[in-house]
Amino acid sequence: MTIRLALLLMLLCLASLLVGGAGLGVPPATILLLLRLPRTVLAVVVGAGLGVSGAVLQGAMGNRLADPGLLGISGCASLGGAVAFYWGLAAASPLALPLAGLLGATFGGVALFGFAARAGTGLAFILAGIALASIASALLALVMALAPNPFALAELGDWLMGSVADKTPAAVMLASVPVAAGCAMLLRLGSRLDALALGETTAASLGFDAAATWRRAAAGVALAVGAGAAVVGGIGFVGLVVPNLLRPAVGERPGALLWPSLLGGACLLVAADLLARLAPMLLPLHAQPRLGVLTALLGAPFLAVLARR
Amino acid sequence: MRALLLALVAIGLPVAASAARNVVSLNLCTDEALLTLAPQRAAAVSFLARDPSLSVVAAAAAHVPAVGADAEAVLALHPKLVLAGRYGAQAVLAALRDTGVRVVVFGEPRSFAGIRAQWQALARVLGVAARGAAAIATMDAALAPRSAPRGTAVWLQPRLVTAGADTIEGAVLRHAGYVPVARSGGLEALVADPPRLLVLPAMPRFPSLADAVLTHPALAGIPRATVPMRLVACPGPWTAGAVHLLQ
Repeated sequence: MTIRLALLLMLLCLASLLVGGAGLGVPPATILLLLRLPRTVLAVVVGAGLGVSGAVLQGAMGNRLADPGLLGISGCASLGGAVAFYWGLAAASPLALPLAGLLGATFGGVALFGFAARAGTGLAFILAGIALASIASALLALVMALAPNPFALAELGDWLMGSVADKTPAAVMLASVPVAAGCAMLLRLGSRLDALALGETTAASLGFDAAATWRRAAAGVALAVGAGAAVVGGIGFVGLVVPNLLRPAVGERPGALLWPSLLGGACLLVAADLLARLAPMLLPLHAQPRLGVLTALLGAPFLAVLARR
Repeated sequence: MRALLLALVAIGLPVAASAARNVVSLNLCTDEALLTLAPQRAAAVSFLARDPSLSVVAAAAAHVPAVGADAEAVLALHPKLVLAGRYGAQAVLAALRDTGVRVVVFGEPRSFAGIRAQWQALARVLGVAARGAAAIATMDAALAPRSAPRGTAVWLQPRLVTAGADTIEGAVLRHAGYVPVARSGGLEALVADPPRLLVLPAMPRFPSLADAVLTHPALAGIPRATVPMRLVACPGPWTAGAVHLLQ
């Protein structure tokens, strides 16, 4: 499964480098290196972070609805990014944007895991996450309504729906390093999540403390989601759909789902971005649709089919 | 260009301070016309008039009360005349008309001939026809003869919107000798088939994603010129200054 997903990702990346506003085929070097490569890398990195974060959250919480987007961690990260961007911090220091995203995601993660520690990880946990996501998007709208730029409110869609188009190579680097670190952290949680799936007491008897697992999961998810969401905005659904989509093929063991979810998330986001670029060529559209729209359109029908079974 | 602006300001200077302040403007473009042609009559202008990145009358507007598109706030000023733009706040204008206030709506000219016609009409409405004619004469004097053909130019606006031929930006480019081209297809299409010149707005004070894309390194290879947004945001006699910057 992992190898097949890796091959699919390579194919999608190749296609992604050959499609764009300049037409189909191999573009001139400037376009390839300064526009398409950053776009593709960003889609891979952000998608991978969201996919593996979804798998870890679902494993750690024992709840298949857990997802960084649905639970508001992405929303808190976008909020941090938007504050840094519109209020001039990002212009003052390039590091401010990813750091503010990390700060937002950390806040979201701590709030959620703190709630889970007190009230459990069932339905109330999902509801608390949805509340956090609503607060984050309301504050985002407020921040942008108050931002001293006439375009700010029109850009709310970019932050709520996400976009990887036309980002600079420097921005891609700033997002990629923390996301890669977060993914590395999350991928090492496999055996802890497997133990936790047997119940907290059993996990403790195996030497894995549930609270420690949650702390590592929270830190890893904040890294894997935060900097990405600060640069591309909040892309929902990837973390929810990908692990649920792959579980029938991989099996119920949470640890076995991590690598496939990482690759699957990257595949889904690169495919959605590819579709965003093809849409103006195939349909009478003047602009490329936003990425979050397409991840939902691509992922949601599969989820509905899975839910019915 | 500075001389042009000073000349325009001078048109408004020798004015009796006794006239009643009974004109309210609700649109940046009419703000600029009002504060240039009849500043002594301005009871209030829009808050955008104070933004030096958008407005050529920011200094004068600082001494005039600011008002938003709010019928109650406008009526509280007891205006004889309300100047407004063609877009936005139509419900407020309807409410003002219902209470018997004279509301005159102006569009945005898309050529230098359009600016002349608009300013004649504005000066007539404000009862300062001679000053309007003087402003137009200043513009025509500042407008150097058309330059020789120099190739294509793309006037890039925030969010990668490109100005078409039938816009004031297109008119400025044509007068400066360029063929205005509009582009769709985003950054990639622009880089794949670059114009001779890229015209960009001067960066505003506050960041936005719309402006951020204009500084993308992929555009670095195309020759560029910068024109302050205030010279074209509202076409007026000062728009001749934008031609100067490109000639």
